[in-house]
Amino acid sequence: MQPRLALFLIYLIPVPLLIGSLFIGPADTVSTKEVLAWLTGPWFAPTPSAVLDSGLVRTIIWDVRLPRVILAFLVGAALSGSGTALQALFRNPLVDPYLLGLSSGSAFGAALALATSWMPLQVSAFSFGMAAVGASYFLARTRKSVTVISLILSGIIVSGIFTSLLTIVQFLTDPFRLQTIVHWTMGNLHNASWAKLNSSAPGTLAGLVWLLLFRWRMNVLALGDEETRAVGLNPEHQKLLVLIPATLAASASVAVAGVIGLVGLVVPHMTRMLIGPDNTRTLPASLALGGSFLLLVDDCSRVAASFEVPIGIFTTLIGGPFFIFLLRRSRVGWEI
Amino acid sequence: MTSLLEGLHLFFSYGGRGVLHDVTIEVQQGQFTIILGKNGSGKSTLLRIMAGLLKPDGGTLQVMGRDLNDLSLTERAKIIGYLPQFHRPIFPFSVEDVVLTGRASYVNLIPGHEDRRIVLRALERVGIIHLRLRPFTELSGGEQQLVMIARVLAQEPKIVLLDEPTAHLDFVNQAHVLRLIREFADSELAVVAVLHDPNIAFLYGDRFIFLKEGQVESWSSSQKPWDTEVLQKVYGPELRSIPYQDRALVVPIIDSK
Repeated sequence: MQPRLALFLIYLIPVPLLIGSLFIGPADTVSTKEVLAWLTGPWFAPTPSAVLDSGLVRTIIWDVRLPRVILAFLVGAALSGSGTALQALFRNPLVDPYLLGLSSGSAFGAALALATSWMPLQVSAFSFGMAAVGASYFLARTRKSVTVISLILSGIIVSGIFTSLLTIVQFLTDPFRLQTIVHWTMGNLHNASWAKLNSSAPGTLAGLVWLLLFRWRMNVLALGDEETRAVGLNPEHQKLLVLIPATLAASASVAVAGVIGLVGLVVPHMTRMLIGPDNTRTLPASLALGGSFLLLVDDCSRVAASFEVPIGIFTTLIGGPFFIFLLRRSRVGWEI
Repeated sequence: MTSLLEGLHLFFSYGGRGVLHDVTIEVQQGQFTIILGKNGSGKSTLLRIMAGLLKPDGGTLQVMGRDLNDLSLTERAKIIGYLPQFHRPIFPFSVEDVVLTGRASYVNLIPGHEDRRIVLRALERVGIIHLRLRPFTELSGGEQQLVMIARVLAQEPKIVLLDEPTAHLDFVNQAHVLRLIREFADSELAVVAVLHDPNIAFLYGDRFIFLKEGQVESWSSSQKPWDTEVLQKVYGPELRSIPYQDRALVVPIIDSK
């Protein structure tokens, strides 16, 4: 596909997808006609207004589906934007937003909140996610500089420690709470609400806007530390300028949606395959594509089963094979 | 002749081992200075100190009359262009995008039209404008080196420091790259390169800095540093020079049976 066409499609897809997703839900509760009528209602009302005012339609679309659709899109965008940025930062295509312990830190924070109610769930998940990444960063820091290898190593160690702590909490807690914890760690878009969206959106959006502003610097960083210094930028400062917003966006998302795997790894790759490695174009495109991807997967999970399958499982089940298909048939956008 | 970069009484040691011992150097505008010496003699270290990437343990460095330490990274990058030793990036950025990163000290957040124009001019000057949309990772070693040289030019520096610019190149590409670097010096840049091969150095350079055991000896081309006696002092007794045009080639002495 031509990059220009690909870019056009990537930005076009979210519009019909966002609207179309409002129609999807357990089939008989609200009919397609009712959704349509509700959507077009403000402009012209062919349907008797009694149906619309029934409250049920409004509640389902406005209070249940709309926040979920927006949240799914936002979380997808945050994870893939963060993944794209971190892959450039680490000069490594195998990196995802969870590399530095974000997922296990957040999961531990969430579990702790669920088990002990010591502080609100999202606040706890968010704080521990950020803390885990911060710990990885400072553990990797020697003599005022942070190498890619030491960051990856400390990320693995911090992840391991928080996973152990999570296991302790799970081990000590009662079965009912244990189930809630396990559900949370598998991703939970099905509890979406305006309240959740409101708590997540500021952090996510702030992180993403910040990343967008600094997207060209990622091209500079991707060439190497010494190369970055040679053209007049301090690589240590630049790394932080990417690491902080990437963590902020992903952490705010994980705090409300749980650990959703693979999006932050797969979508950056898909974007690069379609339009190349230049982050000035790839980063914004990966936001649109990531949002669309997660929304589509969430739609599938709502249609496929009569009960809610946690989204994290679906992203892996659908994204995994699709990714392998892509890898096998096209240029992958990086070289070893 | 203006002196653009001066290093006075530089000392540097690494892991307890003295690498540079009271080294004084001077880099002049319009001259091609070449640093020569055996492996481990501190050639790259000296260049990295001149680029401000390593701090000397003692001594001062003056760039265009100002102390190197007083310059910010951005200011420094506008004066000194440094080409590190070769390495391959992972992502297949287009040639144009790689060269564009040379503009980092001028760009605020996103490069503009002016930056792209300068990039095209740099590519033209190096003679690889036809490669501008190709993925960097798919180029040959010689082409990649030319791209990195164009990146240094896009930086619009006054002083160009090159760390073994011909290290992975074949014979023909070595000559091509060095002719290009020679042109930079002729167009009033100050060029300093670390080279392994004294032959190719003698053909193109104006001034030669020999590093041995942490100390330097500086020779200009008029002093004929390719004479056998000088070379034997730096590289050892098994060398001989053979006249070639107004210069000389260096060959190892072999046993004639």
